[in-house]
Amino acid sequence: MNEFLEHGLNQNRRKFLSKMSLGLGGLALGSLMAPGLFNASNEDELFANVLPHFAPKAKRIIYLFQNGAPSQLDLFDYKPLLQTMHGEELPASIRKGQRLTGMTANQAKFPLAGTKFKFSQHGSNGAWFSETLPHLAKMADDMCIVKTIYTEAINHDPALTFFQTGSQVGNRPSMGSWISYGLGSENKNLPAFCVLLSKGKGNGQGVYSKLWNNGFLDSIHQGVQFSSGEEPVKYLTDPEFIKRGDKREILDEISALNQESYKEIGDPEIVTKIQQYELSYRMQMAVPEITSLQNEPESIVKMYGPECLVPGTYAANCLLARKLSENGVRFVQLYHQGWDTHGNLPSEIVGQCKDIDQSSAALIQDLKQRGLLDETLVIWGGEFGRTNYCQGALTKDNYGRDHHPKCFTIWMAGGGVKPGVHGETDEFGYNINSLPVHVHDFHATIMHLMGVKHEEFTYKHLGRRYRLTDVSGNVINDLIS
Amino acid sequence: MNLKKWTAFVNNALWVLNPFLLLIAFFSEKLKLGMYLEWLGKMHPLFLHFPIVLGILIGIYYLVDKKGSVDSNKLYPILVGNAFLASIVAILGIFISKQDSYDDSLIFAHQWGGIAIAMIGWGLIYLQQYNQRFKSNYILRVEFSMVYLLVIIIFTHKGAQLTHGTSVISFPQKETAENTQIIKVVTDSNATLYARAVAPILQQKCVSCHGTDKVKGELLLNTPENILKGGKDGDILTANKDKEAMLFERIHLDITHKKHMPPDGKAQLTREEVAILSRWIKAGGDFKTKMNELAKTDTLFLLANKYTPADNTKVEVKTGLPDLAEYNSNYCTVNYLYYGSDAIDVNFFQGTFYSRDVLKKLEKLQDQVLRLNMQGMPLTNEDVNIISQFNNVESINLNYTKLDLKTLEPLKQLKKLKLLSICGLKFTESELTNFLKGSTIANINIWSSVIDKTQLEKLVARYPKTKFTIGDNMESEVLKINPPTIDQDSSIITKFLDVKMKHPLNGVTIRYTLNGVDPDSLTSPIYKNTLRLTRNANLKIKVFKPGWIGSDIIQRNFYKSEIRPDSIYLISSPDQKYLGNGAKTLVDLELGGSNFTNKKWLGYKDTTMKFMVNFNQPRVLHQAFLNSLIDVGSYIFPIVSISVEGSNDGIKFTKITETKFPYELTQKDVMKDIKTFTVDFPNNTSYKHYRFTVLNVKKLPVWHPGKGTTAWIFMDELFLN
Repeated sequence: MNEFLEHGLNQNRRKFLSKMSLGLGGLALGSLMAPGLFNASNEDELFANVLPHFAPKAKRIIYLFQNGAPSQLDLFDYKPLLQTMHGEELPASIRKGQRLTGMTANQAKFPLAGTKFKFSQHGSNGAWFSETLPHLAKMADDMCIVKTIYTEAINHDPALTFFQTGSQVGNRPSMGSWISYGLGSENKNLPAFCVLLSKGKGNGQGVYSKLWNNGFLDSIHQGVQFSSGEEPVKYLTDPEFIKRGDKREILDEISALNQESYKEIGDPEIVTKIQQYELSYRMQMAVPEITSLQNEPESIVKMYGPECLVPGTYAANCLLARKLSENGVRFVQLYHQGWDTHGNLPSEIVGQCKDIDQSSAALIQDLKQRGLLDETLVIWGGEFGRTNYCQGALTKDNYGRDHHPKCFTIWMAGGGVKPGVHGETDEFGYNINSLPVHVHDFHATIMHLMGVKHEEFTYKHLGRRYRLTDVSGNVINDLIS
Repeated sequence: MNLKKWTAFVNNALWVLNPFLLLIAFFSEKLKLGMYLEWLGKMHPLFLHFPIVLGILIGIYYLVDKKGSVDSNKLYPILVGNAFLASIVAILGIFISKQDSYDDSLIFAHQWGGIAIAMIGWGLIYLQQYNQRFKSNYILRVEFSMVYLLVIIIFTHKGAQLTHGTSVISFPQKETAENTQIIKVVTDSNATLYARAVAPILQQKCVSCHGTDKVKGELLLNTPENILKGGKDGDILTANKDKEAMLFERIHLDITHKKHMPPDGKAQLTREEVAILSRWIKAGGDFKTKMNELAKTDTLFLLANKYTPADNTKVEVKTGLPDLAEYNSNYCTVNYLYYGSDAIDVNFFQGTFYSRDVLKKLEKLQDQVLRLNMQGMPLTNEDVNIISQFNNVESINLNYTKLDLKTLEPLKQLKKLKLLSICGLKFTESELTNFLKGSTIANINIWSSVIDKTQLEKLVARYPKTKFTIGDNMESEVLKINPPTIDQDSSIITKFLDVKMKHPLNGVTIRYTLNGVDPDSLTSPIYKNTLRLTRNANLKIKVFKPGWIGSDIIQRNFYKSEIRPDSIYLISSPDQKYLGNGAKTLVDLELGGSNFTNKKWLGYKDTTMKFMVNFNQPRVLHQAFLNSLIDVGSYIFPIVSISVEGSNDGIKFTKITETKFPYELTQKDVMKDIKTFTVDFPNNTSYKHYRFTVLNVKKLPVWHPGKGTTAWIFMDELFLN
């Protein structure tokens, strides 16, 4: 409705745009900083989104997303009962009719599978870690481990979409896009939302670009996916015969043409394009020093593991994430694939843990020693958990686990969370006993840490107001220090 | 009567009109007009055009007529007419000025300017009639007319400003922020209803006539005090038992009604705006009620909350705090901590573009800066001096700013400073001790990659009141270095091949062997920039670096493709999905890589792979290599056996050799690999045709998800020696 009104009111557009002729930098600047104010396609939102609502604890987020769903029972949630009952049938009283995925729905039996790994307690809160995560175990005192996250989705696509966009139905903006829209980028020379991908050797599930999509928000808020090769951002340097000043002139001319086009057509994508050209012009200056991992001191390399210098690996992405974050990128998201251990769990998960253990711990340590941990929220987790019963043939040494939405573990560090272990699952590791944290609650809490009231941060689209937490979600104060 | 007589009559009348004009001008405050004279005064804007035009024409005439060619007698009536009109208009002007309140200074200038015009016009009659110098001296006439014209233009312009506003005839301007009409709308949670919805309406639709530029009806609508004061007809907000409040009444009158507000021809109120003003008045016309005091279901609240000024206006959202845009730049962001707070968060980025002026500008906000991030900026003591003026700052990040601790002394005077980050700064023990003396900073991050951790720990133990974050230099950790990479897809040597190897770390030594022995750190040759291979080689490489454990060994086989068949064709067809490029795939010298769907691989499953290699002349073959892919997860298993038969006529074949590959894969083994299977030819018989049969695993092992089914084999190259 608003779009029609405003196309007819092209008069207004022209006045609005005359501000653009004062300097492109100005426009991109404004929109990067407080995008709500420039989102003229939605006049009545002009007043709603001036954020943060209150003093934030975290200024930036690094979300280490473990794609495929890591098995919490083999990593963080120690259930010795499963080991004693190894091979016995999952009691119906525990399962309570929970729906199963198509992969195990036809199984005749649901034998419980105890973890093959040794667990031990670490840190002052007695958090349990399996032997596959030695480095993370050392950081236990900084970690806020939530054992009782739950979701409704039982398969990857809807579950991933749910975690990233707050709804199993697609086409909504992702978390990073909301944050980019609400808070903008701290550093005008970098995008507000960056995405880095890596793959482990385990059974992988795909990641889709819709997970960092901007949905119905302006496309300037899309997650910028960095390339996994040697050059995270390609074509940073201009050809030798183009000087910087020339580039500026070229961009000015192109932008003037684009503005004319916008006045005629009114397509908001044109505005995004202008802004993106402007942003990439500045990224040319900013990115090289950030992505050059060569200059890191050896102690850093040792801390993350020497893999951190090999572009495209999880360790390298962690290091790059730290560098992006300390340079003002609001939301850096990593995806590490390969956790979907339907079969051969013991061997696959060891490889996966090796990929992430040292570097995730190093990330926390790195931020901490630079004094950035208090303002950076680090999140690690997948889209759901895994079942306590075995999928496929169960042997003494080998088992697989299917998807389990009712309880799983995510940990967070920094950014104002309260370190410790939160929530308890039952001894079968199937149901939640205390402190359930739904995906919406998780989102609400994260927003709260960023200084945003999740219920008031909305966007009107197609007649109704949307927000990341959709229509529910409570801030879980137990997780906030 | 003829012209002459009329002219004489009017000329004499001037002797009455002009003194009368002066009289009423001097005593205008005492003047009281009746209804008809008031009406007459309203004719001023109509009649003023005549003397202006006539006066200007006369002025121009005097400029252009050098010789004074027009006879005075002819000019006389015109000049008299001009003076008469000017006087009448001036008198009417005095009448009209009594009716509405206008800006005093403008009125004064215009009024007396108008009178001056009348007087000059009057005097001109006599100049032209009697003054010889005037009649003969052209220059004098020019000077006179310049003055006359100027007076007319300046003072009548003032008149225009009175009616149309002060910017009536000004140069066209680009619409900048300064001259766009800005409607200020206050929307923070504490906004009053008046500020949120009533004031903007009044500002946009009413103040142009009821504001400081013009004060129609003696009513000002720009501030609450003025609204309460009311105007010429009294209070506008109160109703009594007979009538509604005047403001209420006026906005509801039909547009054709004389008293309807806003007047016809000006921007009208929208329905919502009328509703807001009416309900506000009915609710008491209060200026203090806050938005959050109204019930959320109150129609007035809903209307006011939804209200936005119409287009053509710029909206400024005010929190009451000054805008920080002027302090922001591409490399420095300055923001309030949150909406409504006056605490400020400052971040600098991209050290290469640092400018001290940007920091200096922040001195104006020095009491508000709460957090300051200057990581990586090239700072000197001048910058530190500026920083030390931020009295209320609580946290400062100076990581990697290359400062030394002596320069940071001024920071100790910041009493509110709780957290200081100085990672990466170089300092000696004594410098640190000096800095910590008398410091009240509660938290200090001093991770450094150059100072020994144990030394630091000892140092900071002496200051138990301060919390230090030292971090870890990993000095004591000895880790295994990651293996090098071979930067090459091709393993095929045509004439020669230059192998390129890489390692991401600096200061490493890559050692290699070609003879199958594991490289060691002492005797094996060192890879410098390139390594040239000319024959088949089994390359093993290992990386060493002081302080690190040596890497895993990377092995790669390189094949020289000496012999190329004259022709090759496939006897059995590969699976439909993996036809590759036909038989050519096996000899195109292009390795398939790890993606088996890329058409560089031939895939066989249910059909046994058979192909024929042909030479025009009989040849002896010593070895054959088949490059194949193993991808356990995708059901692609290693070759089970290769048998070769030879023939010279293409019909009768003799078995040459059959090589079995007892390759037992277990679950733990490598999932994906590219492996070359070698067939050695025992005798030196030469054949023209060679037929290869390659067998795949018929039954997948028990542990595999596809157990019992047939495995795939994928082949991409055949090398012959």
